Amino acid sequence: MTIQLSALLSTDAEIIPFSKVDSSWRETVEQATVSDTPPSYLIFPHTQDALGKVVEYANENQLAILPCGNGSKLNWGGLVKNPQLVISTQRLNRIIAHAVGDLTITVEAGVTLQQLHSVLQPHSQFLPIDPAYPDKATLGGIMATADTGSWRQRYSGVRDMVLGLSFVRYDGKIAKGGGRVVKNVAGYDMMRLFTGSYGTLGIISEMTFRLYPIPEASQTLLLTGKADSIYNLAKSLRQSGVTPTAAEILSTSLVESLGNREEMGLLLRFQSISESISEQIRQVKELAQPENCHSQIYSDLDEIKIWQQLQVSNNNSDLICKIGILPSESILFLTKLNEFGIGIVNLSSGLGKISIKKEGLKELRSLCQSHQGFLAILEAAKPIKQNIDPWGYNGNALEIMQKLKQKFDPNQIFSPNRLFV
Amino acid sequence: MLLRNLLNSPQAHRRSIIGQLESVVGKDGVVRRKDELLTYECDGITGYRQRPALVVLPRTTEQVAAVVKICHENEIPWVARGAGTGLSGGALPLENGVLIVTARMKQILEVDLENQRVVVQPGVINNWVTQAVSGAGFYYAPDPSSQIICSIGGNVAENSGGVHCLKYGVTTNHVLGLKLVIPDGSIIDVGGPVQEMPGYDLTGLFVGSEGTLGIATEITLRILKVPESICVLLADFTSIEAAGQSVADIISAGMIPAGMEIMDNLSINAVEDVVATGCYPRDADSILLVELDGLAVEVEANKKRVAEICKSNGARSLTSASDAETRFKLWKGRKAAFAAAGKVSPNYFVQDGVIPRTQLVQVLQEINRLSEQYGYRVANVFHAGDGNLHPLILYDNKVDGAWHEVEELGGEILKLCVKAGGSLSGEHGIGVDKNCYMPEMFNEVDLETMQYIRSCFNPKGLANPSKVFPTPRTCGEAANAKKMEEFKEAELF
Repeated sequence: MTIQLSALLSTDAEIIPFSKVDSSWRETVEQATVSDTPPSYLIFPHTQDALGKVVEYANENQLAILPCGNGSKLNWGGLVKNPQLVISTQRLNRIIAHAVGDLTITVEAGVTLQQLHSVLQPHSQFLPIDPAYPDKATLGGIMATADTGSWRQRYSGVRDMVLGLSFVRYDGKIAKGGGRVVKNVAGYDMMRLFTGSYGTLGIISEMTFRLYPIPEASQTLLLTGKADSIYNLAKSLRQSGVTPTAAEILSTSLVESLGNREEMGLLLRFQSISESISEQIRQVKELAQPENCHSQIYSDLDEIKIWQQLQVSNNNSDLICKIGILPSESILFLTKLNEFGIGIVNLSSGLGKISIKKEGLKELRSLCQSHQGFLAILEAAKPIKQNIDPWGYNGNALEIMQKLKQKFDPNQIFSPNRLFV
Repeated sequence: MLLRNLLNSPQAHRRSIIGQLESVVGKDGVVRRKDELLTYECDGITGYRQRPALVVLPRTTEQVAAVVKICHENEIPWVARGAGTGLSGGALPLENGVLIVTARMKQILEVDLENQRVVVQPGVINNWVTQAVSGAGFYYAPDPSSQIICSIGGNVAENSGGVHCLKYGVTTNHVLGLKLVIPDGSIIDVGGPVQEMPGYDLTGLFVGSEGTLGIATEITLRILKVPESICVLLADFTSIEAAGQSVADIISAGMIPAGMEIMDNLSINAVEDVVATGCYPRDADSILLVELDGLAVEVEANKKRVAEICKSNGARSLTSASDAETRFKLWKGRKAAFAAAGKVSPNYFVQDGVIPRTQLVQVLQEINRLSEQYGYRVANVFHAGDGNLHPLILYDNKVDGAWHEVEELGGEILKLCVKAGGSLSGEHGIGVDKNCYMPEMFNEVDLETMQYIRSCFNPKGLANPSKVFPTPRTCGEAANAKKMEEFKEAELF
């Protein structure tokens, strides 16, 4: 099917026939979709208004859209069916307002985390989100996938950092929710509705985040030991007064791949004034003493490196999954995981990321679900996702979620089949 | 049809509905006598009053679901109410509607210390959560000033805050999951003890929806470990600018105190008159309370830094307290500020605007100007750390037309907050008090989009109608009101 986009010619956007886009974009889109034919165009709107016009056109002509930023996580979750337009927010990359004294920043959705940090760094501020593909990820994509990592321990999830948002609705109009202040309960919480909605309700065009001061000093402590010891230690840490900013329990397989002994691990990052860091490390070591754990401290570049190495990739595995499980069961989970791959589980939230062979999928999913959690497939070969529901949602609120989807997207143009088939 | 027949004879219909409700919650679970219904005619904002047609007091999720279903089937509008301490009229009843009160849903259902989660019924009082886990060294962070009487269900509906939300966030940051009765009477579970379940974050959407999307009947909360050390500092200043500047300097020095509160001279004196803590100097222009918590070494270091900042901004005196008893004493006045206003003036009206913290001084000057212009005293207490203002307008309801003027002054203050880049509400909600001002902050497209959500959960518009959003009926033409789906006005009661 050929689509005439002549109506969009005057729009402030770059429109590239899909046959002419470079191979990396083609590969990215291919991995994220199930299509009879490839999409017709890749579109880069340069302004939020232009984005609105493109979406309006798509809706009027019932053209399915695959919204994205830089596409680093486009292949996560359910496969999108037959998109005809790929719309990237990559060029919506303006910093709109950095309210330094108020610790907030308003940006367009295509701003990358890296770009943001280069703006914040001189003011000793940062956005405590540590997602996958941090060098490439756009803030819109991070919000759409609710993707953050180990900093959840102190700073919580993406949902707790977005103060306001604008998005393009199915009819091309721009709607907003929230505001630019850190405390605000006026109107429905659109920010949380859109966080983790995977481009199914609209296209995020602008967001306001709350920021934090960069702590003065930082150090990381790795403790390794037997599963029982790590269990005891994790339990006493959760009940202690120490306040790590990042805290992950590491599978034995992961600890080993980092070049350490064949034991389960607990990786704790402390960020505060240096006296506090020394004191916290002392307290943790004291708690660890009866457990006979081995400990190692990482500072400066070594510290940055160890956290980077924690980025779970799909080398030698079939799937990357996000999991959630009651924190008390995380050791049980990681022990079972060891048979199928590597992974980490956050100390207090019980959220984690794993990289596994497909043989382990069913068993690990049912283990998570039996402890009030979930296992969602992020990255996997297409046949795997076509055979098994990537999300594994087993709750009773599906009907209301589908109603919301229908209301926000009556013609099913945004990421069809992404969340609901 | 049964329904049509009943509609033709209102009295018979009323009896039938009462019968149906009694069969769910028992005879003692339905309040129908006019004098008893009066108890429920208003919540914490007494300027708005309306006696409900009936009050129902369920005990379980299933009973709530059955009651909501009866309303759904009979097209009866309903309002949910917790302890009735809300400050935006969110629980204001409807003349021809049912008020579902959660006062009998007061059980703490589960305490899981290892996973730091607690499951409660909505009628559980905020403070009870902390009491239930404090023995093991945990606490529930959101602490509205009314925490000894307000209910968790109401906190969820309004997304309540408190004096400690600067560091720890508001209710929504601490709610992990909910069991909900939605307006068609069905029961759904959203979120759970583990966050970020696949699918939409309906927990996040529900918290702060002010009873327009359903009733939460079980609430899973996150509890936190009590910090190793806590210290409260009290500084007094001869100008509000100096207090405001201290707040700005503390933040830009990279510290995040648990809370930072400012009270102005009028509130200081009101509190001293009533609570007589003897802590707050009556001649101070303003006081600043800063609570620091964390590891002992951090608290000790930050205490020194905060003290230096306050001194360099001209603080006259500094008091600090680390022991629980003295800390409590320093906080007591602040927590009693609203009540004190009620004692020094026949009536008071509290507003809840938010501004960017950096606009504090300028906005306060404007508030003073408005106060003079309208001729009402305004006492200011506020969560200075996050820019959440609580101007208390003092007035006498017996004076003809006073309430109307006070409402107008309150509205002007809110518009000022929005103009400064802030919000209509930081923690009290919109309710009936501020719904007409929503167009100041959100345009027609924004408001229409919010209605998408409401219409999915609440297609008949029976759950808390006329709240949050402007309606032509309540706000008139002036508010640029957006027509919305109204419940069918059946003449039932």
